[in-house]
Amino acid sequence: MSVRTVTVRVNGVVRTEDAWDHTTLAEHLRTGLRLTGTHVGCGTGDCGACVVLLDGEPVCSCLVLAVQADGREISTVEGVAGGGDLTRAQRALIEEHGLQCGFCTPGLVVRMAHAAGRGGSEADVLAGHLCRCTGYDGIRAALRKLSGGSGGDR
Amino acid sequence: MSGAHQHIGRPVPPRHHDRLVRGHGRFLADLRAAGVLYATLVRSPLAHARIVGFDASAARSDPRCALVLGPDDLAERTAPIPTAWRLPGQPEDRIPIAAHTARYAGQPLGIVVADTPTAAEDLAEAVRLDLDPLPPAATLADALAEHAPPIVPGAAGNEAGSIRLGSPEEDVAAAFARAELVVEREFTLPRVNPSPLEPRGVLAEYDPGTGLLTVHAGSQSPHSMRQDLCAVLGMRADRVRVIAPDIGGSFGSKVVLYPDEAMVCAAAVALGAAVRWVESRAENFDGAYQGRGQRTTARLAVGHEGRFLAFDAHILADLGAYATQAGSGPHQVTALTLQGPYHVDAAAATVTGVYTTRVPTGAYRGYGMQEAAFIRERLIEEAARELDVPALELRLRNLIRPEELPHTTHTGLTYDSGDYGAALRRAATLAERPPPSDPPWVRRGTAVVAAVEITAFAPSALLETFGIAWSGWEGVRLRINHDGTVTAYSGVIAVGQGIETSLAQIAAEGLGVPLDWVRVELGDTDTAPHSDLSAQASRALTLAGGALLIAARRLADRMRTLAAGFLGTDPDRVTQRIGSRADPSSPDAAFHGTDGARITWREVAHRGYRGWGNRKDTDRIRLEEAVDFDPPQITFAHGAHAAEVTVDVGTGRVTVTGYWAVHDSGVLVNPLIAHGQIAGGIAQGLGQALSEEARADAEGVPVTRSFREYAVPAAQDVPEDLVIEHTCTPSTAIPGGFKGLGEGGTLLPPAAVTCAVAAAVPEIAHTLTSLPLTPSRVRAALRAAGITAEGGLR
Repeated sequence: MSVRTVTVRVNGVVRTEDAWDHTTLAEHLRTGLRLTGTHVGCGTGDCGACVVLLDGEPVCSCLVLAVQADGREISTVEGVAGGGDLTRAQRALIEEHGLQCGFCTPGLVVRMAHAAGRGGSEADVLAGHLCRCTGYDGIRAALRKLSGGSGGDR
Repeated sequence: MSGAHQHIGRPVPPRHHDRLVRGHGRFLADLRAAGVLYATLVRSPLAHARIVGFDASAARSDPRCALVLGPDDLAERTAPIPTAWRLPGQPEDRIPIAAHTARYAGQPLGIVVADTPTAAEDLAEAVRLDLDPLPPAATLADALAEHAPPIVPGAAGNEAGSIRLGSPEEDVAAAFARAELVVEREFTLPRVNPSPLEPRGVLAEYDPGTGLLTVHAGSQSPHSMRQDLCAVLGMRADRVRVIAPDIGGSFGSKVVLYPDEAMVCAAAVALGAAVRWVESRAENFDGAYQGRGQRTTARLAVGHEGRFLAFDAHILADLGAYATQAGSGPHQVTALTLQGPYHVDAAAATVTGVYTTRVPTGAYRGYGMQEAAFIRERLIEEAARELDVPALELRLRNLIRPEELPHTTHTGLTYDSGDYGAALRRAATLAERPPPSDPPWVRRGTAVVAAVEITAFAPSALLETFGIAWSGWEGVRLRINHDGTVTAYSGVIAVGQGIETSLAQIAAEGLGVPLDWVRVELGDTDTAPHSDLSAQASRALTLAGGALLIAARRLADRMRTLAAGFLGTDPDRVTQRIGSRADPSSPDAAFHGTDGARITWREVAHRGYRGWGNRKDTDRIRLEEAVDFDPPQITFAHGAHAAEVTVDVGTGRVTVTGYWAVHDSGVLVNPLIAHGQIAGGIAQGLGQALSEEARADAEGVPVTRSFREYAVPAAQDVPEDLVIEHTCTPSTAIPGGFKGLGEGGTLLPPAAVTCAVAAAVPEIAHTLTSLPLTPSRVRAALRAAGITAEGGLR
């Protein structure tokens, strides 16, 4: 085991911190960089709560090592709206009750931010994300709202 | 003469959503703690073994190690956890923390604390366990076999006691003697993992200077966790504080103190430091209490013209390695609720608890009621098939009608209000649609099923009658602050269900003020009113909400009386007018006298706090009301679900192609939240119907330890067009007419889906008694009946 210096640009800010070579990107973000919005629900890449964008592409940050992210660009849930106005996707999730406990939500918010404007299907967005609270009903209503539908029957 | 606001019934998006979509939640693992140490549990790899040695010398000599507690250390530092709900004859009434025998794989035997999480994991692996294997008894059959190894030391066998609930024996016998048809089946409801997306976790901090233990925990019931911690650690209640941060789902799996959580707290006390433990997903599969786990022989007697005469059941309850605080509770609720919404001359059930070498079972959303619904509705569907009458007609013929309520069941439950037939007929109507033309290897079927749901499990006297060492009442404190804003305190907990929003709506309604004046404060035993059961048993909104409505109306009256004093008039000549966007000090938030005089809400509050005004010595000063509400009885919600499924007779795959739910939870405070609760409950129920089963190997070691082996529903497993409707029969027991709905969605999907499969493939209907209906299980039943994709029919 050794410690290496990892430099990433996360949500537009360059951050340099040490990381063990076995530290996952998720733990590095949470512990090293104090960005606790990224949640670890399973640690095996099954639930999608920890999804972040690595050089613009969604990855499960529990399956990436911090050292693999060295020199790369990362977007996390905290960067989606920053401290400012929520995105349409975030507003739709709120309005359509697309979350309950909110533990899985950060990964989904990042995924929806990535999907915005790309025209992917509802199934594409939801693939790889587990939600135990909503039955996906409110999330689907939010996605329908975003794609121009009414947002559902509620 | 309150403000004109209508908060109750408005679909307001929950107030906690904004910070959660920004990534600003504060879950257990997110909390900062200076100098925190990290814990890893040492767990048994074997399902049953005598612990000969726990050698931690290597771990203890490592400079990264802060503390190791093994079984002997724990025996010195902890007492067993008391239980609250026991079976007659239950041989063990305390939950061992310091174990000298491992009774399930994953059982915590000791704890290692180190300066980093990685070090704690490494050092836990360095502990050398010397285990003397004992034969496992991982199934009910194995545990009840003649030469089964006794799991509780000193007990005669593995039976954990027994209870018979319901009608007298002679009534049951007489009803079955009159029967024209008796349907009897054996049902198996497997163990399932509640699987909240956030696993369990504890951050315990002990300050030796003050002697205070502060515990942050993802607990659904901080007060009962505190009580149990006091018993385990021998500490005074005023020295233990439990705080629930944001909780990433719970579903019943976080309602009681677990031994591993107690070990973390014991370690913090021993060290005089802060210790954090965050459960891994595999640990959650191994060690969090599982739901269900029941094998039941049940029969239905049907008389002339399809009239139901009696239900009778014998429930074998898989309690696991020890009986948890509520022990056989869920299974007793199965017995209590077997009768459901139907008339019968007799209904009774026996519950026999059985110890097995698996992780204990406990509360899971639906709590015995889902099992009862599955057993009952399957028996009815089978009776309809044997009688060759439509199942819907048979159900409608036997339902308790609204004009017959209140109605007391054979297990002594008094249904307060509802219209069971309306829900059933509506669900059936919703599900009517022309069948599409399916390929020859696809069969399609629909079924409609019904249930009555215990919500607001209370009053306290009822729990006392059942010998359950908990209370059922719920208290609130509601305060108008000196600036006119409002703070509500309740002992119920937010677990994502949005209760803080619903409670704010109720308080705002009762006070006649805008919603955003009200803050709801939950989760801290130092400030929250006592609550034993807190956010479980579909009770938070009904009981805390009912109490809050009473408190808000009292405070509203006091404000008007104060205002009248300042305006020099009578309270009944004062009108409260508050604009929907007003703040407490604005002119459009005021009390008006008849002469044009007015005083703002804030001014009334502020003067009230000074103790000014024409006050009698006996008048209360502080603008705060504490209300304890213990309802006269349980209030019963109800619902009906319809499922349409297709069965691919080649693969055995069952697909839910349509799902319709009609619920009655009385007056809905927030329809958006209500819809979300039902939808989420349906998804969990569909998971149980089709894919979820916590399995172990022949040695009793869990094999479902990740979301790959254990399939919780993904988006594609839940129909896109769930239809959820609500009817409204107000509760007669709860102020505001509220009924609970946290569990309702979960009760019926296994019954609805299984009955729909039976309708699709009647040739295998009699075999559809075990869940989940995985492709391999359905395919085996199809093959046994001679049905193949090629042959279509036999």
